[in-house]
Amino acid sequence: MATLTVDHLEKTFPAIERGSVPTTAIDDLTFTVEGHVFVSVVGPSGCGKSTLLNILSGIETSSSGSATVSEGTRPARLGYVFQDPRLLPWRTVMQNMLYVIDESGAQARTRAERYLEMVGLDGAGDKFPAQLSGGMQQRVGIARAFAVEPDLLLMDEPFSHLDAITARSLREQLQDIWTQTRKTVLFVTHDVAEAVQLSDRIIVLAPGGKLYADVEVDLPRPRKVSDTDVATMQAELLGRFETMQAETAAAKTASIAN
Amino acid sequence: MSIAVERTRTAGSSGGGAADVLRRFVRSDRFARAASYVFLLLLWWLASVYEDRFPAPLETFQFLWVEVTGGSHGGVVRGEFLEHFASTLPRFGLGIAISMVLGIAVGVVIGGSKWAEALFKDTLLVLLALPAIIWAFLTQMWFGLGDDAVVITTFLSAFPFVAVNVVQGIQAIPRELRRMSRAFHVPRYKRLRHMQVPAVTGYIFAGFRFAVIVGWNAVLLSEWFSSSEGVGWRSRYWYDANRYRGFLAWVILFIGFIVLLDRLVLVRLQRRAFRWRDAQASAIEREAEEIDIGVKGA
Amino acid sequence: MAQTTTTTAGHGPRGTAHLSLAARRRIRGVAGLLIGAGGFLLLWTILSRFVFGEFILPPPLEIGREMWEIVESGAFATNFWATIERLLYGFGLALAIGFPVGYLMGTSRWWRAFFHDMVMVAGSIPGITYAVLALVLFGISILGPVVSVALVSMPYIAINVAEGLDSVDRKLVTMSDAFGRQRSAVVRHVLIPTIMPFAFAGVRLSIALAWKVEQLTEVFGSSSGIGFQIRREFEDFSIPGTLAWVFLFILFMLLVERFILVRLERYLFRWRIEDQA
Repeated sequence: MATLTVDHLEKTFPAIERGSVPTTAIDDLTFTVEGHVFVSVVGPSGCGKSTLLNILSGIETSSSGSATVSEGTRPARLGYVFQDPRLLPWRTVMQNMLYVIDESGAQARTRAERYLEMVGLDGAGDKFPAQLSGGMQQRVGIARAFAVEPDLLLMDEPFSHLDAITARSLREQLQDIWTQTRKTVLFVTHDVAEAVQLSDRIIVLAPGGKLYADVEVDLPRPRKVSDTDVATMQAELLGRFETMQAETAAAKTASIAN
Repeated sequence: MSIAVERTRTAGSSGGGAADVLRRFVRSDRFARAASYVFLLLLWWLASVYEDRFPAPLETFQFLWVEVTGGSHGGVVRGEFLEHFASTLPRFGLGIAISMVLGIAVGVVIGGSKWAEALFKDTLLVLLALPAIIWAFLTQMWFGLGDDAVVITTFLSAFPFVAVNVVQGIQAIPRELRRMSRAFHVPRYKRLRHMQVPAVTGYIFAGFRFAVIVGWNAVLLSEWFSSSEGVGWRSRYWYDANRYRGFLAWVILFIGFIVLLDRLVLVRLQRRAFRWRDAQASAIEREAEEIDIGVKGA
Repeated sequence: MAQTTTTTAGHGPRGTAHLSLAARRRIRGVAGLLIGAGGFLLLWTILSRFVFGEFILPPPLEIGREMWEIVESGAFATNFWATIERLLYGFGLALAIGFPVGYLMGTSRWWRAFFHDMVMVAGSIPGITYAVLALVLFGISILGPVVSVALVSMPYIAINVAEGLDSVDRKLVTMSDAFGRQRSAVVRHVLIPTIMPFAFAGVRLSIALAWKVEQLTEVFGSSSGIGFQIRREFEDFSIPGTLAWVFLFILFMLLVERFILVRLERYLFRWRIEDQA
């Protein structure tokens, strides 16, 4: 069980060309995540959601403030699911799974098999990624991240590149596998409805990377899109989301006018 | 362990002027290139130290100077440079000319007709694989000593390269263009002049460049065995006399000539021949840049 | 092991359809080979009988007989092995030097500038230079051909390795980092597989050039090998003998190319979609 502490985190990208201003991706962000919860970070494009994940996983560094993930006293193990599957094309599915597992030998294989089964790909171990469809490849990506048995699982809009039908089916599978394994998940998306369907808690970021809202989602699982409660919450949140966007737009026009 | 996106360092490090300039110079590309030549020279010199029959850099260049400007190497006739190049160049030129004419002709036939390709493409590949030394030997056996052997060797070595390139050029004409001209019932001569020939020109030129490089090597080899004057012969003269610095001096002249020819003449011609292609490429690049900036700004 | 029957669009499940597709491809390949060879022999016979005369260009049958004698006597096997051995050592050396040089060229501007001209120059030096200098430096030994092959092939391999490095998919590297993989694992699982097709192309490109330089080196400074035999036939003024040795070698190179190299390529790169039957 991991503790994620984000403390006054800031990330600014310097101006690319002369004349343009530096971009603030994350602006004084503070929140804490504890326990086996599914947390979504929602926001429109350009609000620093992916940057947050990159900082957490060490791919990028922050400008100031801190973001730490700890498991008790030791640094936590991280799993990562990207928008695109990012499988090594020259290795089989099983070899791709083993690539990220630190154990070796039969134990590692059994572990990999178990997670492949959870996403319904238990026979695909010997296939190469090119032999799988996009949706299947993404499922392998998810299985791979879970197979690490991470303390914190980072997911960066994993379904945004898939067609609606595949995305829907993968969302259900994700719910399944999460219910079985109960990992701490930080799930980034621009899709409010998706966040409501999957998470225990939703953190809304405004453009510019400021924290806008922090909402608890206390609905029973498994959640179906057809559930009235789910639909209501989605509509409510969507409304707040649109308000935020309107507020941002107004603020921008005001600043331009000045 | 990560390849972090680096926090951008503030541009321009502070520090002492001279030391900084020196450091930047050492890190520059120009210095790297210069260093590579020094390194090669060093290797060369080491080889000559290791084996004393191996010619040393200094003595080789001294020898070269004498061969070019005149003077004697203890009793040998002066100013050989022009005389031998004057013998070699016409043979080389003729051989290349024949290889271009026949190469283009054969290439057009094989590239344009499926059955010709099926029958003869493998023959071309075999010819491509035959080393120039074989031709040098064969022509010597066929023609004895003299100009013929050298010209023919040059031709035989260069010809396959030209032909293969022309074949590729003809086959590379996009099918759509061919269909389009057929759809518009473009007359044959127009098709030839505006579609086939310009498309192939680039490949012809590539073939020409190969022909020149391969042909020049072939000339050297053939003159070695079949001539009584010329660059190749002169190289052999010193080799037979065990004066390897002489051999190496002429090799340097030999390589120098082709490098100069390539840099000064061929590259310029190539740029002209490919003007249409490069112009198109840069237009595409410009477009791509614009799209890229647009995305980044979003 | 459970077999998942995957049906990809356009192909039926494993069975007769799959077999005959591969078989059909093979038949086409063999037919093409026969036709090409036929055209070659036809052209040769015509030139030999009607154009040049049988002394200058001995007809295929005569050369064929020579070739057969050479093979039968075992001379081909010994000399061929001598030549191939030097080629292999030479390539091994070229790969051993080419990989690190290519790695440097691909990852550092400075090293790229350093090696660039050297690599270009190595490609334009006439073979005879290697042949004579190798003779002077190493005398009559195996080192001459080996070093010559290495020097001639190394530029192609280095350039190709550098290009391979250029093409590494950064996303796979970030993925590896996100999962905390060590640098050595990234090299082994991401960099090297990316470079492999390029290195392979480099080897293929340089084989043609390498064997020519090797022949030349053997002509000047060997006491065994195909090049040496060719020189011997030349000194005996035997046109059939010279041609016979040359064709034996070419035939063998063609076979190696079509059967060994193509198989190797298919195995190494079987993960590519284009190779799926």
